[in-house]
Amino acid sequence: MNSNPELEQERPVARGGLWQTVVAALGRVGITPLGLALLIIIAILPNVSPFNQEHILRWLIAGAFLGAQAVAFDFTSGFINVVNFGFAAMLGLGAYTSALLANTAPYLVLKPGITPWIGIWVGALVAGLVGLLLGMLTLRLRGIYAAVMAWFVGIALMGLATNLTTVTRGSMGLHPITLLATNDNRPYFYIILGMLVLIYVTLNLVTKSTIGLAFKAIGQNIDAARASGINPTKYRVFNFALSCTFAGLLGGFYAHYYGSLTPQTLMHTSKTVEVLAIVYIGGRGTLWGGVAFAFPFIFFIEYLRSNLTNLPGLQLVIYGVLMMLVMIYYPAGLSGLYYWAEAKVRTMLSRRHTLPANERV
Amino acid sequence: MSTSTIQLPRVRQAIKPSSRRNTPAVVVGVLSLVIAVLIGVIGGPAQLITTLVTGGIWALMSVGLALIFGVMNIPHFAHGESFMLGAFTAWLVFAPLNRYLQGHPSAFLSVVAPFAGMIAAVIAGAVIGVVIERLIFATLRHRTKEGWIMNAFLLTVGLSYVLTNGATLTIGPDYRGVPQYWDVPPLQFLGIRLTVDRLVAFAIALVVIGALWIFLQRTNTGRAIRAVSQDETGAQMVGINLDGIQTLTFSLATATAALAGASLLFMYPAYPMVGLNPLYYSWYVVMLVGLGNVPGAILGGFIVALFQTATQQFFGIAWINVIPTAIMVIVLLVAPSGIFGSEVKGVQEQ
Repeated sequence: MNSNPELEQERPVARGGLWQTVVAALGRVGITPLGLALLIIIAILPNVSPFNQEHILRWLIAGAFLGAQAVAFDFTSGFINVVNFGFAAMLGLGAYTSALLANTAPYLVLKPGITPWIGIWVGALVAGLVGLLLGMLTLRLRGIYAAVMAWFVGIALMGLATNLTTVTRGSMGLHPITLLATNDNRPYFYIILGMLVLIYVTLNLVTKSTIGLAFKAIGQNIDAARASGINPTKYRVFNFALSCTFAGLLGGFYAHYYGSLTPQTLMHTSKTVEVLAIVYIGGRGTLWGGVAFAFPFIFFIEYLRSNLTNLPGLQLVIYGVLMMLVMIYYPAGLSGLYYWAEAKVRTMLSRRHTLPANERV
Repeated sequence: MSTSTIQLPRVRQAIKPSSRRNTPAVVVGVLSLVIAVLIGVIGGPAQLITTLVTGGIWALMSVGLALIFGVMNIPHFAHGESFMLGAFTAWLVFAPLNRYLQGHPSAFLSVVAPFAGMIAAVIAGAVIGVVIERLIFATLRHRTKEGWIMNAFLLTVGLSYVLTNGATLTIGPDYRGVPQYWDVPPLQFLGIRLTVDRLVAFAIALVVIGALWIFLQRTNTGRAIRAVSQDETGAQMVGINLDGIQTLTFSLATATAALAGASLLFMYPAYPMVGLNPLYYSWYVVMLVGLGNVPGAILGGFIVALFQTATQQFFGIAWINVIPTAIMVIVLLVAPSGIFGSEVKGVQEQ
C-alpha cells in the first residue's frame, strides 16, 4: 500500500534533515534563514569593536525600539488597513502607567513603588484595554474615521498627561527608575531585542493562523470578507487591542530605559508619523519590513545629525521625501523590492539547475 | 377648517424626518447657545468677540479643508502647513516694510504694508498649491486604483513632515512674529477693547468666505467644482475638465489657509510647527459637521471657537486641546458622519 516509490522520494530524507526541520520550525514563526543570520549579527554587534561604543549602542537600542514599534504598527496598518493615529499615545499610556506604578519619588502624590519588571506589563495591559475600548467604539466605521478618532483620542491623552500635573508633573517630566541598576547599555539592548523578537514572533503566529487569514480578507476587501461570513468588527478590534498592548509594553521599556518621560517626547503625533513612515518605506503587510529599515534608518539619521549640525532637519526632509516617493511610485516598499529580487535569483538558480539535467538526458 | 386638516399631515411630514435625523445637531446647537450665554454673562462680551474673531478664521481654514475633501477626496493632513507658509510669507514681506517704516514714517504705507503681506501670502499659497497638486496628488491619482482615501491621507502626512522640516532647514526654528500689524490704539465701545488687527482679521475671514460662497454658487467654475464633489463621473460626462477643477480647488484651499496664517500673524508668530494647532481645530470642525460639508464648516468654525473660549474661561488655557477633543470624540461616537451629515459617499458607516 504505502510502497509507492514516487511518494517515498518526495519525503525529506536523512540528508540535511536537522537543518530542514530547524528551517521549517523557524519558518512557522516567520524567521527565514537570512533573517536569523541578520538577527544573530545584530545580537553580536554590541561586542564587536566599532559598535561597542556607548553612543553606537544607544543607536542600536533606538533602532530595535523603533523596529519593534514598526512591527506592532504594521500589524494594524498592513493587515486590517486601519492606521492607528493614536499609536504614540498608547506608547505614552504604557509608559506613564509603568512609571507611576514604580514611583517612589516624594514630589508625586502616588508612591506605590512597584518594580518596573511588573509595571511594564501592567502598562501594556492598560494600553491594551484602552485600545480595546477605542476599537470597539470606532472600528465599526470606515478606515479614515477610525484613524481620525484615534488621532483625537491621542491628542486628548497627551493633553491629559500634560495637564494632570499633580499626577504626571506635566511637561516638567517624570524621572522613572531604570530597569537595571547598571549604567551599561548592553543589557538594555538585549532586553529590547528580546521584546522585538517576542512581538514579532507573537504577531507572526497570529497572522499565520486562520485569524490572520481573516485579517487579510478584511484588509483587501471588507465587503467580500463580510459576504464570506467574517465579522470584520470583531477581528479588527482584536487586532487593534493586541497592537496597542505591545505599544504599551514598548512605552514601559522607553520610560525605564531613558529614565525621563515627558508627553512631548513620547506621545506627540509626530512620533506616530515617524513609525508610520518606517513601516511604509520598509513595506507594509510584512511585519519585518519596518524592522529591516529601522536599523539603517537610525544610523543614517544619527550620522547626518552629528555631521551636518549646520543644516538642522536635513535628514528629516530626506526621509519625508523618501516616504512620499515610496508611497507614490513603489507602494510595496523595501520588502517588495526584496521579494522581487528573491524571485529573480530563484528563477536564475533553477534555470542553472535544470540545464545540466537536460544535457544528461 | 378643512385647510387645517389638509395641512396638518404635511407639516408633520416636514418636521418629523429632520427632527429625528438631526438630534445631534439640535443637542450641539442648544449646548453652543447655553455656552455662549454663559460666556457672555460670566466672561463678558469681550470673550464673545474673541470667539467670533477666532471662529471666523477657523471657518476660513475649515472651508478649504472641506472643499479639498469634497472635491478631491483627500483628508488633508498638511493643511496646517499652508497656514505656516502664509504666516512666513507675510512675515517675509511685512517685516522689511515695517523696518523701512521705522526710518521713513508714511501714513499710507503703514496702512497698506500688512495688506501687502497678506496678498503675497495668498499668491504664494495659490502657486504652491498648484505645484503640490500637479507634482504629488495628480501623480498619485493617475497611479492609484483602490484605497485612494487612505493613500492620499498618508501622502499628506509625508507632505506635512517635509514642509515643516523644510521650513526648519531653510528659515530656521525661531519664532518670527509681529507684535501688531497696525500701530493704532484699540477701539473702545461698550466697555470692550478690540484691536484693529483682530477686527481686520475677522473682516477678511467674512469677506473671503462670502466671496467663496458666491463663487461656488454663481459662477460656472464654482458650479463645476460643486458638480465634481457630487459626482465625478457625471461631471466628466458633461465635459468638465476634472484635472483642472481639482488643481483649482487645491490651489484655492491652500491660498485661503495661507491667508488665514497671514492675517493671524500677530497672534501666531510664524515658526515651522505653527500650523499644528490650526490643523487640529480645522479637523475638529470638519469632523464635527461632516467631512466635505462646506456650508456646515462655516458654522462649525464658530462652534469650535466657542468650545475653546469656554474651556479657556472655565478650565484654563492648558485644557484648550483636551476638552474640545473630548466633546468631539463624544459627538463623533453618536454621529459618525458629523452633526449635519456628510454628502461624501463611501467613507461613513460600513
